[in-house]
Formats: sequence, structure tokens, C-alpha cells
Amino acid sequence: MPSESSVAIVRESDIVVARQKGRELAASVGFSSTDQTLLATAISEVARNIISYAGQGEITLSTIEAAGRRGILVIARDQGPGIPDLEAAMRDGYSTGKSLGVGLPGARRLVDDFDLASTPGVGTTVTLKKWLR
Amino acid sequence: MSVPILKQGDILIASIQSALSDQDLVELRDQLADRVGRLRARGVVIDVTALDVLDSFATRTIRGIAYTATLRGAATVVVGVQPEVAFAMVQLGLGLDGIATALDLEEGLALLHAGKVERALRK
Amino acid sequence: MINIGNQTPAQVLSQEMGLTEQAVERRKRISGLEPADLERISSIKNLVLAHTEEYTSVFFDHLSSLDEGRMVLANRALAERARQLKREHLAAMVQADYGTGYVTQRLELALLYSKAGLDLRVFLAAFHYLLKSIGSTVMKHFEAEPVVGFEAFMSLKKVAFFDIGIIVDALVFERERVIRQQQEAIRELSTPVLQIRERLLLLPIIGVIDTHRARLITESLLKAIRANRAKVVVMDITGVATIDSKVANHVIQTVTAARLMGATVIVTGLSAEVAQSLVVLGIDLAKLNTVGDLQGGLEEAEFLLGYRAASDPSGSFGAPAPRS
Repeated sequence: MPSESSVAIVRESDIVVARQKGRELAASVGFSSTDQTLLATAISEVARNIISYAGQGEITLSTIEAAGRRGILVIARDQGPGIPDLEAAMRDGYSTGKSLGVGLPGARRLVDDFDLASTPGVGTTVTLKKWLR
Repeated sequence: MSVPILKQGDILIASIQSALSDQDLVELRDQLADRVGRLRARGVVIDVTALDVLDSFATRTIRGIAYTATLRGAATVVVGVQPEVAFAMVQLGLGLDGIATALDLEEGLALLHAGKVERALRK
Repeated sequence: MINIGNQTPAQVLSQEMGLTEQAVERRKRISGLEPADLERISSIKNLVLAHTEEYTSVFFDHLSSLDEGRMVLANRALAERARQLKREHLAAMVQADYGTGYVTQRLELALLYSKAGLDLRVFLAAFHYLLKSIGSTVMKHFEAEPVVGFEAFMSLKKVAFFDIGIIVDALVFERERVIRQQQEAIRELSTPVLQIRERLLLLPIIGVIDTHRARLITESLLKAIRANRAKVVVMDITGVATIDSKVANHVIQTVTAARLMGATVIVTGLSAEVAQSLVVLGIDLAKLNTVGDLQGGLEEAEFLLGYRAASDPSGSFGAPAPRS
């Protein structure tokens, strides 16, 4: 099982490909079934965001190690319109039914480390890390 | 790839096998709505046992399908949410509020037959 | 340990420890191994190979001279295997090829030491004697050119430290694995889900609920709901130390998740005062089906399951049958 792979997110079906790969990678590192599902769900959210707001992008998955712990790194990149208000995007808006809704703040709750970088007109990069307990 | 809809008495059963595309889900919603009307189905079971991930999109869509079926007059039950999937959903902040749920197909059918599912939308 | 395919335990351990090619290269860099070292090691290769039996004996003699080390050698089969591996290790040490295969070989011996319960200090002491022994041989051979001999030995020592790093990390990793398993077992014991009647689960929660524990409780409850086909869960929080907004949210999350699986959760043990303070904090308790005390909760559960009529005061549930 290669420790790094990249999935092009061009059409809807790629969302499932990306999250399946994420699940497999997590399994190979030793994540529990529940954690595998959390990671796969987080990947599904960010991949869906790419399709919905940027049209296409790319997700890279790799295993990482720090301070004796192993983990998974997910980087979701797109060259879409970007997110003008990062703060608003990270606020829980699901109860009001806003379109950005659960996606990003929800994904953050499923992983350990989360980073969002976006430049309007240039693109967005979401970085997720999940560590083995 | 479409979802097979089975008929058992006056209950329709839709077993979602794998992650469906937007199109498939829209098709499922419309087909269910159509059949509930045509076949005068009084109950609908949406079975998600095979789904290993239910993200916000899938959840919203399933909610929509359940609402549509209920609007058409069928009591609707969602069954088969797996433990890990349920866990991930609440972490994401998702729920299926207002929609009846049951452990699996067997339980869902029992619930419908016992008349315990409202055929009205709950808040 | 998760065994993927037909891998040896050492290979599986290597993967779990993240000893990829890059990780091994990084370790070599940390040990300071350079091409010049590899050359010097090659120059003393045959010298060392001629004495591997002697060095192996020095190592194991030192082990058996210590009480803590003697226990390791008690099992003859294990001791024989360890000796064999040690001989192979020494031979490999001077081949100047230290890649993932070399590392996996070290891990095999480390696993053996771990299984035998070898004390780290004893291992290091015996290893020191072994190195001293090699050092003597090398210096004697290079009597005419002591500097050359010294440098060759120092290069070999870099490999020795590389080895120590791997074996120590492996022993620590294995020990931590045991600790993790024990902690997990303790946690499981502290959050039992009891089936007290068909389709009815009782989840008594005692103590402090932090995020991690809340998660474990939720996970085991959801699995129990599936295993027992439970339709009602009585979750008693009488014994929870502090019920603040965080704990309340954990409870709500657990209830929501159980609901997704078709199970109704009745929360008991939430006093009126605590409930009020939570409402003031903005927690929406409407989602919760609460009953003051456990007794009341169990009666409500029986009613929901059709075991009793609404106004039947006579208790009729059986003794708890602990099963998860």
C-alpha cells in the first residue's frame, strides 16, 4: 500500500474514490473502524466542497509521523473562486440551512488538526490531519 | 445506477447499495414519490445499511427523500444507520430529526405494520 | 497487531512503527553514518566476521551473569533463536548495507527480547560488553596504525547506535502497546452497557465525563444497540460528577446517535436544579427524554416496550443481566 496517493476530484464519483482511499490508508496505519469512518466522512465533506464550489480540484492522502505518533494527512486543493470570509465559513451554519452549512466546521470536528487557506480568485486549500491514538 | 424499489404489501422498500450520485438520488426521490401515489403505498423504508459514510450531502438528500414520501402520504422510516456512521454524523452535527428511524429492515417493517409511524411531518 | 497478508511479525511491527525508507534514512543521518564510515567498516569486515561466535558469547554471557538477564535465557528454544539471530546481526552489521531489510532484522530480535521481558538496562549493558570485545579485536589488529583502527571502530559504533535506537524504540513501542491495551480494558470495564431485558439496555455512567470518555461511551453504546437490537436505552447519569454544558452536549450527542439507530434513550438522574442551570446556559434539553430517577426511567422504558401499562405501579423487570 503506497503511503501517498493523489485523487483528482473532477466529478461526483471521485468523492467516493477519495474517501475509499482515505479509509484504506487509515486502515493500513492501524486506525480503528470508527476513526476510519470519521476520516472518510471528513474527506467526503471537503471533496464535496471542491465539486460544489470549485468544480474540480485534487486531494492528496499520505501517512505522516511526528513525535512518535503516526497519522494521516489530507490536503484538498482547488483553484476555485476561493472563500471570501473564512471566519463565516468556519462558523456552524447548519442550523440556518446555509449552503456552506456543515462542510468545513463539521469536517474540523472529525479530525485532529485542521487548516484552511483561501485566496478569493485564486483557490482554496484545506489541510486535515488525524493522529493514531 | 438506480436504486431498486421493492414492494411488500403496501410498503415500498428502497435499499441504497452504495454512494449514489446527485442524479441517482433525485431519481430515487421522484420514483418513490411517483410510486407512493400510484400504488397507494402507506409506508416507505429507506435502507442505508450498505452505506459506510453518510456525509452532510447524503443526509440532506435522504431527509429530502423521506419528506417527499411523507408528503405523498406514506409513513417513512430510515433504517440501517451503522454505529460508526451514526457516530460520525453526530460529530458532524447531523441528525435525522423528524424522521422515524429503526435498526434495520426487519425493525422498520415492524414499526410500520404496528402503525407506530406518523404519516405527518413532525417538527 | 494487524497482520496484512503474509507478513512476518517484524515486518508488521516495522509498518506500525512507521519505519519507511525515508524514516530509516533519517535515522542513519541522525546516527551520522556517511560513505567514509561505510568504507572503514568494510575494511574490518572480515576481521569481525571471523569472531562473531566469540562476540555472541560475550553478549549472552553477560546476560546470564545478571539475575534480570538470566530469566531471558530460561526458555531454551527462545535462547537458541536469540543466539542465532545475534550471530546473523553481527554479520549483517559489517556488510555496510543498512536499509529496511537490516532494520526488520533488528526488529525480529527486539520482538524476541520483548516477549522474553528483557530489561532495557540489561540489554544495553550486554551490548556494551559486546562492543568492547569488538573494539579490543580491532585495536589489536591495528596495533601498528592505532588511529586507523580507532576510526574504523568509531564508524562501526555509529552502526551500533543506529541499532540501539531501533531496538530501544521497538521495546518501548511494544511496552506502550501493552499499556494501551490495559487502558482500553480499564475503560471498557468502566462503561458497561447492560442488557436488562430484551431490547432494553441500561447504561449507568459514573465519574467524570471528558470528551474522550464520552466518545468511548457513545461508541460502545451504539455497538451494543446493534448487538442487542435494543429499542430503548436507560442512560443513568446520577453518578456523573459534574454536569456542565459540555457534558450535557455529550449526552445530547449520544442520544441523537442512538436515535439514528432507532433506539430511544431515556436519561435519568438529571436533577431539576441541574436541568434548570443547563437551560439557563442555553442547552436545548427538549431533545432529551428525561425522567427524574432510575426507577422511573426503567418503568418508562418498560412502558415504551409494551411490558407494562401506563399506570401499572407494580415493578416487573428482572434482575440486571450484565452483557455488553
